[in-house]
Amino acid sequence: MSTELDVLVRKTVYDSILTRGVVPLKTALAAQMGLDVSDVGESFQRLADAHMFVLQADGEVRMANPFSAAATRFKVRAGADEWWANCIWDALGVSVMIRREAVVESHCPDCGESLILEVTKDGPRASSAVAHFAVPAAHWWDDIVFT
Amino acid sequence: MSLFRSEEHVREWCAKNNLGMDGLLSLAQVWGMAQAWYSEDRRSAEWKRKSKDEAQTLFTSLGLTSAFWQL
Repeated sequence: MSTELDVLVRKTVYDSILTRGVVPLKTALAAQMGLDVSDVGESFQRLADAHMFVLQADGEVRMANPFSAAATRFKVRAGADEWWANCIWDALGVSVMIRREAVVESHCPDCGESLILEVTKDGPRASSAVAHFAVPAAHWWDDIVFT
Repeated sequence: MSLFRSEEHVREWCAKNNLGMDGLLSLAQVWGMAQAWYSEDRRSAEWKRKSKDEAQTLFTSLGLTSAFWQL
């Protein structure tokens, strides 16, 4: 276990996401940090074991909450910047984390209609929209991507 | 967690997919969860994930007290 390295890896991943909108690959992070790719991969795995990241089958970061490396049903825009979020909780979480007003773009799973939420520093503007979890809280980590 | 056009659309979607409505949340509740979860800077060395007890306390504070929200 390398706590100091994991803290640095976590910080560097979030720096990349927040400043460049990119969830970095192992190779890019290793080059940036002057580390072996295997060291980065092992750190990713420890961070995933601690439920700080969620990894893809190839060991790359899929989720660094609230951000997603893969396209999702939740795009968050702030000015010219944009990110993918994992769910509506995380989409609002992006606005909280970047400390900026943002617009969440999604669509209704029932009717497919496009949904736009404007999010100010005080929260989402009034809307008829609501959220729904399909999976009980105790089982979220059984399949966090589906949840 | 998905975003729906309205509570009626959640009801229709849950009926089609044989799911319960227990996981229904207002946007105000989701905002409360987002603020509690993501206000702290995850780049900080001091940042730690919320414990199970902390998460449960958060849900309770937002009125999410049914069995669905038990961790």
